[in-house]
Amino acid sequence: MAAAEDSRPFAGLSDVSISEDIPVEGDISVPVGSSRRDDELSTLDEPVKETILRDLRAVGNKFVHVLYPKRSSALLRDWDLWGPLLLCVTLALLLQGGAADSDDQGGPQFAEVFVIIWFGSIIITLNSKLLGGTISFFQSLCVLGYCIMPLTVAMAVCRLVLLGGTGMVSFAVRLAVVTASFGWSTFASTAFLTDSQPPNRKALVVYPVFLFYFVIGWMVLTFSPSQ
Amino acid sequence: MTMADDTEDVELDFAADEQERARRSAVIRHPLASFFHLFFRVVAIVVYLLCDWISKSFASCFVLIIALLSFDFWSVKNVTGRLLVGLRWWNQIDEDGRSLWVFEAKKLGASRGSNTGTEAEARIFWLGLIICPLIWTFFFFTSLFSLKIKWLSLVVASISLQAANLYGYLRCKAGGQNGQPPDKCSFSGQHLLQRPDIIFGIL
Repeated sequence: MAAAEDSRPFAGLSDVSISEDIPVEGDISVPVGSSRRDDELSTLDEPVKETILRDLRAVGNKFVHVLYPKRSSALLRDWDLWGPLLLCVTLALLLQGGAADSDDQGGPQFAEVFVIIWFGSIIITLNSKLLGGTISFFQSLCVLGYCIMPLTVAMAVCRLVLLGGTGMVSFAVRLAVVTASFGWSTFASTAFLTDSQPPNRKALVVYPVFLFYFVIGWMVLTFSPSQ
Repeated sequence: MTMADDTEDVELDFAADEQERARRSAVIRHPLASFFHLFFRVVAIVVYLLCDWISKSFASCFVLIIALLSFDFWSVKNVTGRLLVGLRWWNQIDEDGRSLWVFEAKKLGASRGSNTGTEAEARIFWLGLIICPLIWTFFFFTSLFSLKIKWLSLVVASISLQAANLYGYLRCKAGGQNGQPPDKCSFSGQHLLQRPDIIFGIL
């Protein structure tokens, strides 16, 4: 009997049955997104002033996050490029030398600063993506752009210091300010960017960022006002 | 019992007052949005053409044009798109840090009672959206061949701002017409199949 049973491999299956008393229960939740549709409807119908204020608050929030670079995800989750655009334009204007009608001041021209900042950010982003980073293109641009803020502040301080003269003391002060802000920018951006990289590649990602802020810091430090 | 199956939305017009009916039959429902949709773009092009008369400084022209085009980008993306043609696109990062592009379109049948734009407004929207990047492309070639490299950087920035909206709305439109779920571009496609909340915008 046993041999005959063993020779039919699925013999026992016909006896298998589930008693109807056993409750089969589970939870299938399909997020229909109705609550999200309500959010969408409410943002669709909100007055334009509300939208503007909301976006402005988001940008301001990110500036605060650059000032105190903790490992938070605010810069990464809700990225936007308004802050970088504003900082880029401000920095380029501050590097103008104050002359309104001529562009050959010996300092970087307006369009050069723009191109350096944006092309530099794009190339660093491409580099980090090629090295296998998980951060998205625009998130990386957002972080790099917002972290220019310390250097912009340093530029404003340098302009003020240069009002007082261009001697050794002024140079020493400017050097200290620029070095501090360069360190701050690099530290802040690597705090956000290196989380997304595999651990043995972190240095490969950090050095272009270092170069990028170094070039900007160099432009800030070597700025001299026209007479 | 059969009444429950017959729940097609029938518009009972006797409840609509004069204002509502006038709004629904107007040629342009959102005059302010239509105006601003075109205003910033056209003024930016005019400033570019007349910049020698406006200011001697390249920097101020640059800043003015970029500011105008930034306002234009923001208003077209956030306001005029959804008001005039009921389309919207955005990017969101989900909890795993993956980037997700969402393109959304209002379902055509639902626009009866809603506030979306009329035919004229849709035409204004698309004409403004398509013609201006073409004009900037023309400026690209003129500045390239006249070797004004400074202006080339400005034109490239302008083209990228304008083309971004054009591309986003074209994808919304393409997704809407085929009746497919909106295009979702992400770096992990499988994840999206488990996200049915990003559905076609059914209103």
